[in-house]
Amino acid sequence: MNVLFGLVSAMVVGATPILLAAIGGTFTFYAGIFNIAMEGMMLVGAFCAVLGSFFLHSWFLGILCAVAGALVMAGIFILFAVKLHTDEFLTGIALNLFAVGLTTFLLRDIFHVKGAFTDAGIRAIPAVKLPLISGIPYLGSLLSGYNLIIYVAVLVTVLSAFVIFRTRFGLRLRGAGYNAACLSSSGVPASTIRIWSLIICAVCCGLAGAYLSLGYVRLFAENMSAGRGWISLAAVILVSGNPWGIGVISLLFGFFDGLTVFLQGGRIPTQFTAMIPYVATLVSLYLYSVRKKRRQA
Amino acid sequence: MRKQALSGILGVLAAFAIGALVLALQGFNPVATYGALLQYSLFSGSGFTATLTRAVPLILTGLSASIAFASGPVNLGQPGQLVMGALGATLVGLFVHLPSVFLVPLCILASLLGGALWSGLAALLKRAFAMDEFIVTLMLNFIADYFALWVITYPLFDPSASTPMTRPISTAAWLPDLGGVNTSVLFMVLAAVVCWLIMSRGRSGYEWRMTGQNSLFARIGGCKVDANYVRVMLVTGALAGLAGGLMIMGGPHRFVKGLGANYAWDGIMIAVVASNGISGTFLYGLLFSALQQGAIGMELVTAVPSEFIDVLQAVIVLVVVAGRVSLNMVFDRLATRRKLKENTR
Repeated sequence: MNVLFGLVSAMVVGATPILLAAIGGTFTFYAGIFNIAMEGMMLVGAFCAVLGSFFLHSWFLGILCAVAGALVMAGIFILFAVKLHTDEFLTGIALNLFAVGLTTFLLRDIFHVKGAFTDAGIRAIPAVKLPLISGIPYLGSLLSGYNLIIYVAVLVTVLSAFVIFRTRFGLRLRGAGYNAACLSSSGVPASTIRIWSLIICAVCCGLAGAYLSLGYVRLFAENMSAGRGWISLAAVILVSGNPWGIGVISLLFGFFDGLTVFLQGGRIPTQFTAMIPYVATLVSLYLYSVRKKRRQA
Repeated sequence: MRKQALSGILGVLAAFAIGALVLALQGFNPVATYGALLQYSLFSGSGFTATLTRAVPLILTGLSASIAFASGPVNLGQPGQLVMGALGATLVGLFVHLPSVFLVPLCILASLLGGALWSGLAALLKRAFAMDEFIVTLMLNFIADYFALWVITYPLFDPSASTPMTRPISTAAWLPDLGGVNTSVLFMVLAAVVCWLIMSRGRSGYEWRMTGQNSLFARIGGCKVDANYVRVMLVTGALAGLAGGLMIMGGPHRFVKGLGANYAWDGIMIAVVASNGISGTFLYGLLFSALQQGAIGMELVTAVPSEFIDVLQAVIVLVVVAGRVSLNMVFDRLATRRKLKENTR
């Protein structure tokens, strides 16, 4: 029973950053932007979270800094891809490179360390005990006691499903992706909607980054997003943007991520267990293509 | 072509200006910093040769990305293909004992095959299951990284080393230095010339470029688009693999942990700024190599951390790419105005 609980909690923990980034990515997906900058936004968010938490002595300000950092990245994306009409893919690649360069540079410049920065002064995001539910046996330990951001992520998922499918903004958002010219000619500039989608994406990625550096662990390491932004992009493409589908896929990745932790110290070399999330992405891409083919037939 | 050169030079200068601003804001002296950067990369004998040697993996992965992007396939797998190529060369170098004349070509072949194997896997998944190579190659990068780490930690681990690495490869496979320049530079230049011939003089290069610009047009024109796709993937994978092999044979002579990590995205970055042109890739590869080489000296002389160069590189990419689009718009507007004038006359 304990192993099961451990696996479930490891699954949820591993799923959260991917879920948050993918929810952000789904807004830009619906708005018709080929946004691959989630990785960079997450990385900058993770760095700024540590920066804020360390210097301002508050995890909450750390989260705010993370969001602000990701928003700056989104600002650059908006300036280049939306305003100057640079290719979205190229902008995304450059932005991801910029994020890696900037964070390693600042890590060295501000904290005077190479590789990773950890300090007792970094305030971590606390875990939350849900009132009422935490008292229930089994269910309490299954649902309560997670990191605050994890509950935020669940909330964000539900909210995004509502916003995208049930509100006027959501309709316009989907319109911007479906037929931008049509939307613009009906009096709503598609570029404005796209800018908003990027801002939402940055907020989500900032939260994901803050979770990586203040929730998951309490340090910043070079390139610590480790491809999670790319996996979240794969998740968005796999379910064509549906937030509920993203939730399921993220949990699946979280499960494999948790499995990685569980298999450590076993017979299998860690190098192979570390591959699992990436292999899982390939397998899910395969299953997706098989399903698509069957549907076409 | 002239427009491209102009926007490139303007973009790089603008990026340097932005970099100088960042430096000044941090309290460093931009002139001294850039001076040290140039001094240690171009205007000293050892610095210049080191820049050339460092350019080998940059230009080769850049060519790989350029050819792929120009021909359609979004091959983002250069890091993984480089690692697999390096692994191929290492394996041959460790276990095959032959005189240099045979061993060097064999190692190079192994590195080409190693890279092509990894990109071929992505091509296979695309052709058989319609899995997008864009994500597949990315995921394969991580898998190759961990696989190589396993290989050098367990089966090929050098017991006398403290960190994961293999034993040195047979000295017959080492590429010697000629006048301070490593011979791997010759192989790189040769590969670049071949790439240029294929892409701008050969029939297959024409077919690939047409497919990249409009695959439907190419198909109707009689190109075998699917077969070309596989060919492009194999060739670009082999180029990245060659980069890895040459790094092993010219550099540390063994597979060290973290090999290629620094070059991971540089190839793609170079292809992007060069807008997938072969000669552009070559020049930008040299520029980025000079920056990275000069960074070491810059850190020695001034207090600026060498990571500043990573920022500068990304700024160059953004400014050059965005500048190209905006400049083209300006040029188009000028041309329109000129035509309007002619017509009204």
